Amino acid sequence: MSHRPARRPRRHLAVASALAAVAALTATACSGPSVGSTPAAADDAEAIDWSQVEPASEITWWSNHPGQSKAVEEELIARFEAEHPEISVKLVTAGANYDEVAQRFQAASQTSDLPDLVIASDVWWFRYHLNDQIMPLDDVFEHLDAEADDFQPALYADYEYEGQHWAAPYARSTPLFYYNKDLWAAAGLPDRGPETWDELQEWDASLRQHVPANGSTFGLSTGPSWGAWWFENMIWGQGGEYSDGFDLTLDSDESVAGGQFLHDLFHASGVASLSADDAMADFASGLIASTIGSTGSLKGALDAASFEVGTAYLPDGPAGGGTPTGGTGLAIPSSRTPEQKLAAAMFLQFITNTENTAYFSQSTGYMPVRTSAVESDAMKETYAQTPQFRTAVDQLADKARPQDYVRVFVPGADALLNQAIEQIVIEGADPRTAFEAITPQIETAYKENVEPYL
Amino acid sequence: MTTANTLSASGAPTPPAPLPARAAPPPRPQPQRASRGRLSTRRRRSALLWALLLAGPNVALLLVFVYRPLLESFYLSTLQWNLGSPTARSVGLGNYVEWFTAPSTPTVVTTTAVFTVATVGGAMVLGLGLALLLDRKLVGRGLARTVAFAPYVLSGFAVGILWLFMFDPRYGLVQELLGLVGADSPQWYTQRPWPLVMVIVVYLWKNVGYVALIYLAGLQSVPRDLKDAAALDGASSARTLRSIVLPLLTPTTFFLLVTMLLASLQSFDIIKAMTSGGPLGSTTTLMYSIYQESFVNGRAGYASAVATVLFLVLLVVTAVQMRFVQRKVHYA
Repeated sequence: MSHRPARRPRRHLAVASALAAVAALTATACSGPSVGSTPAAADDAEAIDWSQVEPASEITWWSNHPGQSKAVEEELIARFEAEHPEISVKLVTAGANYDEVAQRFQAASQTSDLPDLVIASDVWWFRYHLNDQIMPLDDVFEHLDAEADDFQPALYADYEYEGQHWAAPYARSTPLFYYNKDLWAAAGLPDRGPETWDELQEWDASLRQHVPANGSTFGLSTGPSWGAWWFENMIWGQGGEYSDGFDLTLDSDESVAGGQFLHDLFHASGVASLSADDAMADFASGLIASTIGSTGSLKGALDAASFEVGTAYLPDGPAGGGTPTGGTGLAIPSSRTPEQKLAAAMFLQFITNTENTAYFSQSTGYMPVRTSAVESDAMKETYAQTPQFRTAVDQLADKARPQDYVRVFVPGADALLNQAIEQIVIEGADPRTAFEAITPQIETAYKENVEPYL
Repeated sequence: MTTANTLSASGAPTPPAPLPARAAPPPRPQPQRASRGRLSTRRRRSALLWALLLAGPNVALLLVFVYRPLLESFYLSTLQWNLGSPTARSVGLGNYVEWFTAPSTPTVVTTTAVFTVATVGGAMVLGLGLALLLDRKLVGRGLARTVAFAPYVLSGFAVGILWLFMFDPRYGLVQELLGLVGADSPQWYTQRPWPLVMVIVVYLWKNVGYVALIYLAGLQSVPRDLKDAAALDGASSARTLRSIVLPLLTPTTFFLLVTMLLASLQSFDIIKAMTSGGPLGSTTTLMYSIYQESFVNGRAGYASAVATVLFLVLLVVTAVQMRFVQRKVHYA
């Protein structure tokens, strides 16, 4: 190091300013929550007079492109920009599934790096709402004449809490019973799904002779955001449920019977086998004769399978059954400017309008979210050509049941429920023990992350 | 002749030298100390200022991006916070108490221990073996070295997803190969302990090349004349390996042990891509449980407490290694 002639004041200044910069950076970069005894009440922000707001010229949309819909979403954006040349929409792949988008959205919540429109799945939107991260849509939809009452009532009501709607339905699905029509015919079975789970067990004897050696009559896969969804049909079928309101009912005899039914399906009757990774792939390859899959997998299954794919309602149990609804809606983050919010709402309205929801449904298999779209000529034509598309819409009208609160509203509960289901399916655990093991954790999650915010 | 024993006594802590060791390295000049008292206060202060100024930018970055988050994470570990909310509740040491008493903690710790021992131990042994092999004069040695090192530069996520296909118990390559010898494929995705075995295998595949490369560099700094002398004295190659090569490789082994241990305890990408910690938590390591608690269960405060525990574990492991393992290190 060479020593230049001393110019001390300058050097002092430089050192001091460097230290000051460090201190300032350290201080300002500090973020994180403020600590209070009670969480802030979810006050509704003061009402915005939307008629005084000019929409922003650019908005960002975070999506995981449900049902491999990236090209479809790009087409929706192109249509919107053609109609509203003053607004451009940036599509961001914010994750591979609903959970990843949600995690990114949570992590970004303390920053300004937020989207104007975000995927809000059935198990996540309520968490966003509890954190005041999203805004109610009722006012802005009214201002835009979005005809919210044309949304399929069951689908729009899913996002209602305390009289306001916190998201709009977008890629909405139900689980469906998928069956291999060729195998069905070979086994001499009627061309329909089983009406009850008992009927599937009766059919097993004849179906089993026609599936490959390492295959089975029925196959399922588990996993977060998945296992605890289809299992609702089975637990309801035995008269049980995860929870009554927020009160856990996993220890009721009916709920345990639901677990026992699942146990026997895999470990007693041998009707079902566990698919290592993706049951839909095993189904499409002909390894298993039937499975439960999301509506959103329909287009993919029709394209992938070399046989004729049949779709049916989920089978009933002795106490009925029904189907949960699921999939994702879209929400608008509450911290955006009114201009951004308005532009996002305009775009949201546009992509869920009658024509575009029909287009999205035809391209993916997700349900059209508007009643007018179900009755539209476009969808009627689709249903005539591929009647499988119709099953989900009919099932929604005939059999849909709101999901149990604990799965969709308690953070992390879905993953815990899936854990109990895996314990039963993979390890043959006793259902009562498996449910008991996750109960304390769900109760903690409720006490920590839901109760204080209600 | 010189033996490994006499060598070990002469160790000055310098990196392995390319030349044969000197019997006694000359003491280093220490001008600073010698002239300390003569240096004027003014000049010393000015030197200090310069040092601060020049180190400043780096120190600033470290403070902002390493130490501040670290301290903030300590603070978060005393909160109950769900990551998305603008508010949180202080719970003191409650998160720590919960972790130490949680029924899942022993499982996570065991899984972490098995994963760490298997990946670090396996990578060191296999890496050394591979290095010894690649150190020989073989045809196509350059290509073999490149191939062995290549997995290390790939993204862990991509590696995980590719291997997931290969392990598929119904269609995968591994299942085909096992079929050739008449073995049934284990249920790699679903049946314990196979998911953990699968993740360990992939981790080894990805990291062995790196260990081999570092060992190879170490092997090439083992003085030729030592090995020749041993050969002249009639030592077998196994004996030479045990008494000369391995002791001289201890600095390399030490370096690898520290870095591999830290990397293994922090590994995330392969587990996330292949098993997401499942099934039934059987591949959930301490590191993965931090992600799980924070981003899936929305318990950022609790996750920070687990992160602090992991931090302390890493600190202790490193300190122990520095203190005890380094004593047994031989330098050529």
